Amino acid sequence: MGNILEIINLSKNYYGIPALKNVNLTVKAGEIHGLVGANGSGKSTLMNILFGNRIIRETGGYQGQIYHRGHLLRLNNCAEAISLGIGMVHQEFALIPELTITENIKLGREITNKLTNRLFGHKYSFVDKKLNAQSAALILNKLGLDIDVGLKVRNLSTNIKQFVEMAREIGRQDLNFLLLDEPTATLNKDDAQLLLNVLLAMSRAGVAILFVSHRLEEIKQICDRVTVFRDGEVVSRYNQGEISTTNLARDMIGHTVTKAVAPTRTVSNNPAMIFKKFSVAMPGEEIRELDLTVYEGEILGITSLSGHGKLALGYGVMGLYPAAGEVIYGKQKLHRMDSRTNILKGIYVLPDDRQGLGILPEHSVADNIIFTGNQVKNLFSLRLPRPFTGFLDQQKAHRYVTQLVHDFEIKCTAITQKIKELSGGNQQKVCIARALTVNPKLLFVAEPTRGIDISAKEKILQMLIETNRSQQTTIVMASSELDELKRICDRIAVLVEGRLFKILSPDASDVEFGLALAGEENI
Amino acid sequence: MEVYRIKPPQVIILIFLCVLVGLAYMLHLDLVDLFNESLIKLMMNGVLVLALIPMINAGAGINFGLPVGIIGGLLGLCITVNFRLTGFAGFFTSLLLSVVFCCMLGWLYGMLLNKVKGREEIAGTFIGLSMIPLMNCFWTLVPFQNRQMLYPIGGQGLRPKISLEPYFNNILDNMALAKIGAVEIPLGFIAFFSLICLLLALFHRTKVGRATIATGENEEFSRLSGIDIAKIRLIAIILSTVLAGIGICVYSQSYGFIQLYDEPLAMYFPAISAILIGGSTGRRAFIFEAVLGTYLLQTIYLLSVPIANEILVPEITEILRSLITYSIILYALLHRSGRRLSH
Repeated sequence: MGNILEIINLSKNYYGIPALKNVNLTVKAGEIHGLVGANGSGKSTLMNILFGNRIIRETGGYQGQIYHRGHLLRLNNCAEAISLGIGMVHQEFALIPELTITENIKLGREITNKLTNRLFGHKYSFVDKKLNAQSAALILNKLGLDIDVGLKVRNLSTNIKQFVEMAREIGRQDLNFLLLDEPTATLNKDDAQLLLNVLLAMSRAGVAILFVSHRLEEIKQICDRVTVFRDGEVVSRYNQGEISTTNLARDMIGHTVTKAVAPTRTVSNNPAMIFKKFSVAMPGEEIRELDLTVYEGEILGITSLSGHGKLALGYGVMGLYPAAGEVIYGKQKLHRMDSRTNILKGIYVLPDDRQGLGILPEHSVADNIIFTGNQVKNLFSLRLPRPFTGFLDQQKAHRYVTQLVHDFEIKCTAITQKIKELSGGNQQKVCIARALTVNPKLLFVAEPTRGIDISAKEKILQMLIETNRSQQTTIVMASSELDELKRICDRIAVLVEGRLFKILSPDASDVEFGLALAGEENI
Repeated sequence: MEVYRIKPPQVIILIFLCVLVGLAYMLHLDLVDLFNESLIKLMMNGVLVLALIPMINAGAGINFGLPVGIIGGLLGLCITVNFRLTGFAGFFTSLLLSVVFCCMLGWLYGMLLNKVKGREEIAGTFIGLSMIPLMNCFWTLVPFQNRQMLYPIGGQGLRPKISLEPYFNNILDNMALAKIGAVEIPLGFIAFFSLICLLLALFHRTKVGRATIATGENEEFSRLSGIDIAKIRLIAIILSTVLAGIGICVYSQSYGFIQLYDEPLAMYFPAISAILIGGSTGRRAFIFEAVLGTYLLQTIYLLSVPIANEILVPEITEILRSLITYSIILYALLHRSGRRLSH
């Protein structure tokens, strides 16, 4: 059979940062082609290019050629992709919540009344509700689903929504190429199997499928070929029969030279914080009933694929998102997830979203460093009788900040410079300086090195290690940078779907991490 | 310190002002007299403009609900006049009463605005608008006794315009008035206005004040830093309302009348225009911007009246005023939505 899709030397940059580098890929008719890779390896970018997502054109298009059924593909928007018979099932649902299942499935392709078709044309014709419902039910039946198609999508559970989303694409007569972005991520094993069976049936009917999944077992089970992406490049390709989850995991993570910065040691058995059935409703990063113990004085790494909850832990403790379950800090239970109370108790959170949550962009470096300490712990306040309290002791603050800026090598023209003018690395140093000002016993750090150049990265990691060693600050560091976690952590917890999947030692092999991240037990 | 940047509205206003001054000179109008009056106008309207600052800085947007505070101030004024208190005693009693009423009204207003976070401006507009008919009923029914406040016929219900002539008319205007030739400098009024500016500046340097500015700049950051957002916003809104109450007292003593009924609605658009002309973006406001904006706007109003009377039909004045006021607000709103998208 011929190639449905042929990609030659495809490259794509986002603002000078390469997302895809010289990618070559072919998908034959009736083939299920797997695509695996860690976060940020370029899978989503490729999907977006193939489906004509606007973001690609707005960020300067791409280099290289893509042929769809022998014709050069030039997409301006998703509608053009759809008209060519390309379909996509999104990771986040692209359904309209206020419409019924039928309406969602048949949107834009409704069966209309023949008489009014002739009178007013297809566009303004009456929609035949009965026929549409029957047709929609038929498609869903194919997926093994028996459900009232008149229900509104808003009221459906996530896995049913996933099926509806699938049904919309399957229901298309003209479909020849289907893009699937982690369609099984929200499904349980049985439902996922149903979906896989449908995919196999479709491929037998001649539809080419490009299938992205983090579940390596599924890839192994249904794919004819699989391509592994790392840092925007194709690193390996396997045919059916050669696919092994171990190899895929190894290729995804890649072999990197790790330099041990923090020597391994034994940490105390005193728990600093115990999470019991802790849930955080952070949209897109939910934690579901997590059980985890953090020991005093350790650096605990937390990692997961994006969307599996590694970022939500600190925010949950600070009450930024609704949280449930029990948290025991020291010997006491935390009654309220409230930032002021918890900062006073010695807990501090450095957010991953530095621009959004980490800094006051229009304020000076000095203001950013002392803000929390001053507001919560009344540090640097002038000692004046009531009601004149609350003014700042400028000299004291100035001395303190000057010292910190010097110690941490924060590069700024003056401590009165606005923080938004600083580089990302220096902003992060300011954030850490602010955290140290409140002198926390337990520090949550999320993605501390994201968007920071290499030299500053080392400095920031060094700062975290020093804080931990010299002040006995317990640190919980959430990061997707496995290499960094392995260098500074005592233990690394891997979360899958918001639950603790496994705690690994930093010496564990990349394969073990790759498998754990994908939620696969060791084989 | 940040370098003060001149933006398009200020350029337009400045050009307009220069043209007006030139015209006034050519028409042989008394420029010294106009200057004297411009100072009074600045301080007369200035406090109402300052009243916008705390809410803008707290991230609660431009206070389109300024009439709430104005109504509190009018209540204070009316009660003072009812008891026929005169002179400084009368004026300061009215200030005190205004502050009390405004604290209560501001608290309610703040609770409401905290419920409609992100839409404070439109909500404030309608809270202000709905207060007016409510207070119209109140003004007609309230059992005040002072005959000079009541309708001359029937003797019931407050007049739309109550003269302050016998009580504390121009009390600040004439306080410590220094005359240098024809130039009159109202030192007392300047001192009073400066005091309010100073207090507001000091507020922003306190812990609560700094938390307010941080909340306006990055609410999530503040929450993560242990700040009670709702409380901080409430304080800023109450402060804004109280300043509006003081503002209307200052305005009324200068104007010479207490204006009731629909009059609060005529007060807040010029105030908002003024702070926008001063260069505020509606996200962060400085006292300097409020003072500069008030001076520019009020001076234009002041100059346009005699000039329009000389060379144009008199009605053109009112048209010009409205045009300037509304278009400046429109410009600011357009400008701001542009900024929001660019993020």
